[in-house]
Amino acid sequence: MSELLQFLVSGLTVGAIYAAIALGFTLIYNASGVVNFAQGEFVVIGGMTAAALIGAGVPVWIAAPLAVVAGMLVGVALYRAAIRPAREAPLVSLIIITIGASIFLRGAMQAVFDKQIHRYDGFSGDAPLRVGGATILPQSLWIIGGSIAVFAFLAWFLNRTRAGRGIKATASNRMAAALVGINTGRAMNLSFALSAAIGALAGVLATPVTFTSYDVGVLMALKGFSATMLGGVGSPLGALAGGLLIGLIEAMTAGYISSDYKDASAFVVILLVLFLRPQGLFGARITERV
Amino acid sequence: MHDPLLSIEGLRTAYGPIEVLHGVDLIVNEGEIVSLVGANGAGKTTLMRCISGVQPVKAGAIRLAGEDLTRRPDHARAGLGIAHSPEGRQIFGDLSVAENLRLGGYHRTDDLGADLEEVYGLFPILRDKAALPAGGLSGGQQQMLAIGRAIMGRPKLMLLDEPSMGLAPVLVDQVLAVVKSLRDRGVTLLMVEQNAYAALSIADRGYVMEQGEITLSGAASELIADPRIREAYLGA
Repeated sequence: MSELLQFLVSGLTVGAIYAAIALGFTLIYNASGVVNFAQGEFVVIGGMTAAALIGAGVPVWIAAPLAVVAGMLVGVALYRAAIRPAREAPLVSLIIITIGASIFLRGAMQAVFDKQIHRYDGFSGDAPLRVGGATILPQSLWIIGGSIAVFAFLAWFLNRTRAGRGIKATASNRMAAALVGINTGRAMNLSFALSAAIGALAGVLATPVTFTSYDVGVLMALKGFSATMLGGVGSPLGALAGGLLIGLIEAMTAGYISSDYKDASAFVVILLVLFLRPQGLFGARITERV
Repeated sequence: MHDPLLSIEGLRTAYGPIEVLHGVDLIVNEGEIVSLVGANGAGKTTLMRCISGVQPVKAGAIRLAGEDLTRRPDHARAGLGIAHSPEGRQIFGDLSVAENLRLGGYHRTDDLGADLEEVYGLFPILRDKAALPAGGLSGGQQQMLAIGRAIMGRPKLMLLDEPSMGLAPVLVDQVLAVVKSLRDRGVTLLMVEQNAYAALSIADRGYVMEQGEITLSGAASELIADPRIREAYLGA
């Protein structure tokens, strides 16, 4: 019983990280239709920047926000330098551009930082809390709380604010959005900035638990993408649920089958979703009339 | 003299290397309904797209109440008083009907409630379907939604591209009645229609476009009576 509880705790922790990455995917997808495969790199930029600053003696409460801002700036640069110049290109080309950007960013991080594995202390220390026979790192609570806060923010932002409605409309029909007075370029810019900030925040929160190095972004992006597919592409609620579920499935697979199959379980889930329910758990079936 | 609400001079535009409008001149006075008729491919839709800014202009000028719009970005024009119900409707298919209508008033900062009621009054079916995704509406209902969205912008000038496209005959009459009622409320309209007779019958003036140029213009009643028009566009 305490074993199950322990798996649940670690599954939720990892799942919350995937959920934050999936929320980043969702935001850019919602604005542009692009699946941004550089999303995992934002997570690494957040973690590596925070690790470098903390290593240099900067207090964590300054280093963490700076790392998020660094991620955001890279996100805007990615949009302006790579996506915007190609905005008339087909969607598939844009998606391939993000794959290229992810390779470039990985190389750049090797040069700017290093090839070592990094971590820093949890925000509230590393002494585990005992709950009903399971142990919880205080940082797990930061991670889970952070993901839920990001979800709540996005749900509010996309539905209740003018800028958020502009992003939704731009995603739905860019020409119609321009006709009703939405600055679609600004909407795209904003969605890349926010999405990158969310990814970097996930990295900042996760690094004390998962560690980070320049090349963990690929796997992070793939797991986040699995979560997005499972939840339903474009749905913030789906991203949250999909992330947590993928984390739980991984933890259960590792605990009850073998940790060798941990990473495979996420990809088995993607395949099952694509075969059985391509719109995911919360995705809308879109019907178009011509 | 009073500036016309819309004046277009020497307008040229191209798709890539191919010029499709070769110096179009057109005027719409405040309070008028002006119909633009012509065969498929004459450039009517392109002209509308230039006015709302989604098609870049190569040469010439577009003025709204005297103010030069030619270099203003597309998204600035809704706020200046232009609403465009485009060809092919271009609704926000995955958003609800009510969200579509509210987005029509995106550039406005005042309350949209009264205008929403007005649109539901004109097209009651949209009220019944308000919470449903717009992509699930029938073609005719999407057309009403596109017109309703343009009304929500509370424009000075409304551009209607093929408002009767895909509508059952009884709905064509309903849409034309709405167009007339909009004029009575002070909206100026420029309308492109395949259905030239219907378009001219409610218009004050008309322009005939052929191969990227205006070839004929005049009072709508005269154009309807003109033998050349009757032969080419009215099937008489």
